Amino acid sequence: MKKLSLILSIMITLLSIILSGCTIGNQQNLEVSKISVAEQFGLAYAPLQVMKELKLLEKNLPGVEVTWKQLGNTAAIREAMVAKEVDIGFMAIPPFLIGWDKGMDWRIFSGLSKSPVGLVVNNPHIKSIKDFTGKDRIAVPQPGSVQHILLSMACEREFGEPERLDNQLITLAHPDGMNALFSKNDITAHFTAPPYLTKELEVEGMHQILSGSEAMGKDFTFIVGVSTSNFHDKNTKAYKAFIKSLNEAMAYMKQNREATQILLSKAYEMSEEEIEKYMTLEGVSYDNSVAGVPEFAEFMKRNGYISKTPQSINEILWEDVNDEK
Amino acid sequence: MMKNKKLFWSFLIILFWQVISMSGTFSSLILPSPYMVIKAFLESIMRGELLNETMYSLIIILEGLFIGTFFAFLLALASIRYKIMEDFVETLIAIAHPLPGIALLPLIILWFGTGRTSVVFVIIHSALWPILLNTTTGFRTIPRIFTDVGHNLGVRGIHLISTIYIPASMPFIISGLRIGWARAWRALISAEMIFGAVGGKGGLGWYIFKQRVFMDTAGMFAALIIIVIIGMLVEDLLFERLEANTIEKWGMTVK
Amino acid sequence: MNDFLKAVSISKTYLNENKKLKVLEDISFSIGKGEILCILGASGCGKSTLLRVIGGFERIDKGEILICGNKVLKPSADMVMIFQDYNQLFPWMTVLENVLFPLKVNKIGASAMQRIEISIEYLKLVGLEDFKNYYPHQLSGGMKQRAAIARGLALKPSVLLMDEPFGSLDAITRSNLQNELLDIWRKTEVTIVFVTHDINEALALGDNIIVMDKTPGRIKERIKNFQERPRNRRSDEFLDLYEKIYSMLDVQI
Repeated sequence: MKKLSLILSIMITLLSIILSGCTIGNQQNLEVSKISVAEQFGLAYAPLQVMKELKLLEKNLPGVEVTWKQLGNTAAIREAMVAKEVDIGFMAIPPFLIGWDKGMDWRIFSGLSKSPVGLVVNNPHIKSIKDFTGKDRIAVPQPGSVQHILLSMACEREFGEPERLDNQLITLAHPDGMNALFSKNDITAHFTAPPYLTKELEVEGMHQILSGSEAMGKDFTFIVGVSTSNFHDKNTKAYKAFIKSLNEAMAYMKQNREATQILLSKAYEMSEEEIEKYMTLEGVSYDNSVAGVPEFAEFMKRNGYISKTPQSINEILWEDVNDEK
Repeated sequence: MMKNKKLFWSFLIILFWQVISMSGTFSSLILPSPYMVIKAFLESIMRGELLNETMYSLIIILEGLFIGTFFAFLLALASIRYKIMEDFVETLIAIAHPLPGIALLPLIILWFGTGRTSVVFVIIHSALWPILLNTTTGFRTIPRIFTDVGHNLGVRGIHLISTIYIPASMPFIISGLRIGWARAWRALISAEMIFGAVGGKGGLGWYIFKQRVFMDTAGMFAALIIIVIIGMLVEDLLFERLEANTIEKWGMTVK
Repeated sequence: MNDFLKAVSISKTYLNENKKLKVLEDISFSIGKGEILCILGASGCGKSTLLRVIGGFERIDKGEILICGNKVLKPSADMVMIFQDYNQLFPWMTVLENVLFPLKVNKIGASAMQRIEISIEYLKLVGLEDFKNYYPHQLSGGMKQRAAIARGLALKPSVLLMDEPFGSLDAITRSNLQNELLDIWRKTEVTIVFVTHDINEALALGDNIIVMDKTPGRIKERIKNFQERPRNRRSDEFLDLYEKIYSMLDVQI
């Protein structure tokens, strides 16, 4: 009996420590001048590099303490936002929708970039996704990624069954996927985005059989910016300042092409030529409009990736989003 | 008695967990309640998905362990038979044993790609060296009296190994198998989390990764429950039984 | 007939940290079939090494061991050694399996059934029939030694080599086992070479007693023991022999 009460008292103590410790964590988030932003690596995130280099946020919100985090995948960004370690995150639309569906309190506040994505194959005999045999393996960055959803969309169109190729997908990070595609051992196809897409298409024998807009039937925003409700509601000043800075960065990129290229070539450790080639690539654009959310949501609901679609677009977009119809 | 204690503590931990999740301190995306986890667990079992992935993992680990154990014994035999092999095997163990299977993954991907072969290779690597190390140690520290008696009674060659060396080294062999299993099981889950199919089977590790991507935290916990259950079954049923039927029955446990 | 088991000028040196250590020097003896030879000496006199040499467990520098005129080169089931260590039984086999095992290995007995019969017969001989399904760790020290003797005898060896087999037992158990051994010896007529440091034991068992000298191990004296069996350990003859051997062993007072 003595033992039991000892155990119980230890547990109660632990419980109170855990519960109290977390309220402290929450309070820290209330500080106005702190922003934590999470992004991933890649040229699709270029406006954020411009924003960083030109210190636009610091200009618009003097005294701000901004933390930039570069995380390896969308799941990590999402988890960091659940854990209230990150206020603003950048990702593709499907992972955002999955989080929203699971009850994450967040909405899109801006588009960031449009980018071509494409399915590259290393076998000249494959001309369309109809030519894949059961032996062909297709690499995508993650299940539930925009590439995976786009391939499912194409399968729905071609075969009437979106999950047709699901058993042939393997998950590889972009660079691994590219190497695997070149080695021709493991995989026949790789669904990827620039710069890997352009690098792959430069190699002889590789060709693209499907683009993102073909799969979806229209253009869509590749990367969007997402903010937690907590940050949007409680740090309105910082939230507004961030949007303002982001828009300024995009405007700067349009007006100062060369300066942007120099800046980006430093940030990405790539040559200016490479940067230029990418920036002028067909389908690449940086603007704050958001396109494709309803299409993704509808498709993903229909195929069980999410359990519901938003009643109105305002459920998932903040008030000041440039919603491109 | 031991089992009751474990049950008691498990119950207390689950109670504690339920209280924390009911307090609302953490979002259910971070810490789903035991109820949600059990629901996800049962749903996944009903769909057959979790069981399929578990079977996939178990078959792959058995395959890897089987091959690993086979080669461990082969090398151990060679090393007691030939002095030159003993030195070679010792060097091999010194090089390979400290290398975690997961650290080798990038290299294994280069050599074998990202398919099933690579996972099997990681398991073989994880299991082979501890089993080999323990078996050779067992063979080497076998009491001289057993081999003397064996020689005296006319036991020769391969017979000496199967009837004397192996049973006499049983405590070492079992502990090698235990370590090999534990390492292989961990390596398997980690390797599966790194590569697998999207719709096809990829094992328990892959299942966890997939639930992560789709933000199904309760589903991740459900897979963890399976991992814990398998770990306990193997430990309590398999190894404890094996010990009870061999070294404990023989009075060979190290006191 | 007296040359059944013969040692011809045996010498052996150990190499210890580059230093040569002579353990046996010029040892010769011979015994007849069915005799009991006791090798008696203080610890470290090389008597156990001598026994291992006889059994073919150790290489020697010089000399040879002959049994019925044939040279002994390696251990064989024809000369079974009973060690001092209780743990000579295989712990992973039951008592019965321990006795059965060498029968199987040496293909003695026409069938499995017959081998079991032979094994049980020898377990009966040592009084362990009721313990045949026990594992060795469940037996007392004396029982383990008796089981080891049964295992050795079941092979019907021509020589039983015994290396202080009762050395770690209490005095009562030891005396009982000595008597049992004599009993068994009478029934099986096996030749026994018995190493001991116990003068009483040597006098109770041996037809011949070799008293060993220390560093290097040499034969100091060979004594014939003509006492009638069963021997009375309180008889004058016994006590006289005891005194004689005791004085040989250089006991410092």
